[in-house]
Amino acid sequence: MTQAEIKLCSLLLQEHFGEIVDKIGTHLIQAGSQPLRMITHDTGMSPDQVKKALCVLIQHNLVTYQLQKRGFVEYEAQCDRVLRILRYPRYIYTAKTLYSDTGELIVEELLLNGKMAMSAVVQKVADRLTETMEDGKTMDYSEVSNTFVRLADTHFIQRCPLVPEASGPSDAPPPPAPTLVVNEMEMYMVPKLNLVGKGKRRHSCDDDGNDEPKTKKQKQDTDSKEPQPDDGIYWHVNIDRFHQHFRDQAIVSAVANRMDQTSSEIVRTMLRMSEVTTSSSAPSTQPLSSNEIFRSLPTGYNISKQVLDQYLTLLADDPLEFVGKHGESGGGMFVINLYKALTSLATATLESVVQERFGSRCARIFRLLLQKKHLEQKQVEDFAMIPAKEAKDMLYKMLSENIVSLQEIPKTPDHAPSRTFYLYTVKTLAFARMLLHRCYKSVANLIERRQYETKENKRLLEKSQRVEAILASMQATGAEEAQLQEIEEMITAPERQQLESLKRNVNKIDASENQVDETIFILESYIDSTVKRI
Amino acid sequence: MAGRGGRGRGRGHMTFNVEAVGIGKGEALPPPTLQPSPLFPPLDYKAVPLQMGEEVDYMLALKQELRGAMKNLPYFIKPVAPKKDVERYSDKYQMSGPIENAIDWNPDWRQLPRELKIRVRKLRKERATVVIPKRKQQLPADKEETIKKLETLEKKEEEVTSEEEEKEGEEEEGKEEEGEEYDEEEYEEETDYIMSYFDNGEDFGADSDDNMDEAIY
Repeated sequence: MTQAEIKLCSLLLQEHFGEIVDKIGTHLIQAGSQPLRMITHDTGMSPDQVKKALCVLIQHNLVTYQLQKRGFVEYEAQCDRVLRILRYPRYIYTAKTLYSDTGELIVEELLLNGKMAMSAVVQKVADRLTETMEDGKTMDYSEVSNTFVRLADTHFIQRCPLVPEASGPSDAPPPPAPTLVVNEMEMYMVPKLNLVGKGKRRHSCDDDGNDEPKTKKQKQDTDSKEPQPDDGIYWHVNIDRFHQHFRDQAIVSAVANRMDQTSSEIVRTMLRMSEVTTSSSAPSTQPLSSNEIFRSLPTGYNISKQVLDQYLTLLADDPLEFVGKHGESGGGMFVINLYKALTSLATATLESVVQERFGSRCARIFRLLLQKKHLEQKQVEDFAMIPAKEAKDMLYKMLSENIVSLQEIPKTPDHAPSRTFYLYTVKTLAFARMLLHRCYKSVANLIERRQYETKENKRLLEKSQRVEAILASMQATGAEEAQLQEIEEMITAPERQQLESLKRNVNKIDASENQVDETIFILESYIDSTVKRI
Repeated sequence: MAGRGGRGRGRGHMTFNVEAVGIGKGEALPPPTLQPSPLFPPLDYKAVPLQMGEEVDYMLALKQELRGAMKNLPYFIKPVAPKKDVERYSDKYQMSGPIENAIDWNPDWRQLPRELKIRVRKLRKERATVVIPKRKQQLPADKEETIKKLETLEKKEEEVTSEEEEKEGEEEEGKEEEGEEYDEEEYEEETDYIMSYFDNGEDFGADSDDNMDEAIY
């Protein structure tokens, strides 16, 4: 784990779970697999705090445990899973686009709570949806269940590993830690629940006249009923499936930008057909025949078979090689080259970075080197049509930033410098890794800056919150305009301006974090797929 | 040494032919760097503006809401509030807020290692270890049952009257009481008040000798 990653993980944990969890999580990331005693000893915190923090981390799938042969339990943190916290808003938004508000809330509840049982999720989501609906209307549990089932069918959520059934003699002492078993067959099977009911409002009049707060009522409910039929079956969000979806989205939009809407629709259809047949790390999808594609096109599209064939040929001939032709049977077999597509996307990102940091001429040299692989100093000047002095200057600037590297090819065995070729080249994997590291650093800096800004204006923020609370309570009890005006004036005009600028800055920083995360996704996907290939 | 006669006169001689790398004869090299680069170097090219649009705004709102929501969930473990400077008399009769060592949410203990389960009364047990063995023999079995019954009745009463926080703490303790001699502690000082309400500062600093199972380093 690089220092930048560890720093970013620490900031994310601190923001979302508090300092205690942050300290313990960061320690685990740095130290690797450790038992409870060592964690307590190394961090110097009280054992109870360590236990609490570990429970929270395990609940959120950030730490896993394993029973070692000698009988003690070791805990290991998953650093990349912690970094995913940055992407939570994107997951929730995707669920919203695919399954509307119900899906959005289901995914949000699962992300906020780590793992949940289906009945609990359905109940909570129905209650939340009922809150937002008009008076008198309630959300039925069955509708929420249906969306849940659809999410499970498309693999966006999956079951957590289970405690194995007690097969041994029941009087044997239970092990110190259960060994959780992943049941491949049942990962997406939804238990048969008979969830009947409707969402409840917080202070709804059709309760039995109780004014008790909802939590208390729920607690009594769950205490009095027998355990739900899906006891012990927990669900969590399947992050890999979301990543697959993002990757498909990126490919489709790339094709749409390069060609036109219709070709992007064709590619989208092909990707959708391959969703279940292709694993996420495969270099290309299964071959699909042109007839199959024609049949699976969305019903709105009235393109004839010949037009589809023309589009497919065009896509296959494109130098970007997103689509490749695999054979002639069935009207032509076509595949989508996932690995090549990811490489192109990552390379486009790298080019764009060079262009924005060093100028368009440097970008020209960069693209030239990508195309020609290895070039001498003289050749670079000639091919790029840039004067020698400038070309030299740019090359050295890029060399100092490690964007391009020198390859020595000796002419003589004694490697004499005057008789050696020096070729410039671009190592995309190394550059991508460097850029990714920089992205992590950027996000960490952004978070720190945001926290600093908020801390600087803490007093002002608290004051404005108090004023809002007073205003709200006064409005509830029915106050006059004049009194409300007076309260509002408690915040002076320069203070208001300060608050405005603070809000603007925090929004900007948050939006930047989201945008950097998109770049992180592309780079990470490219690096992962390259590494797996090797 | 002979080769380094001229200070500042001409460049040094390299082991290879500098023309191959591209430095022509008589050309000035950039000055050597004598200090680390500035913290905020001036940007040659201004950054591209952020993306705009509905999608971006919605995700921004989601992100901020998520952050706010997580701060209020029980998973957010707030550091223990620092003790006040002077021990006040009223501390004895005030509620000690969220019970320090309890978890506010209920994980599925079957899926977690056993060692992670916190015994809430552990600390009180420490102080009472000397007393408990004797008392265990003293109290006959049926007396313990009656005491237990009285305790549960008392608890039921308190459920209705006390605040919600306190009630949650009680229930938490109620659940973890299986197999523990909780009634001993109520009887310790023979008051009418439940001892768990009070935090008279004795457990400050005694946290470190918790958990006798651990090896002592």
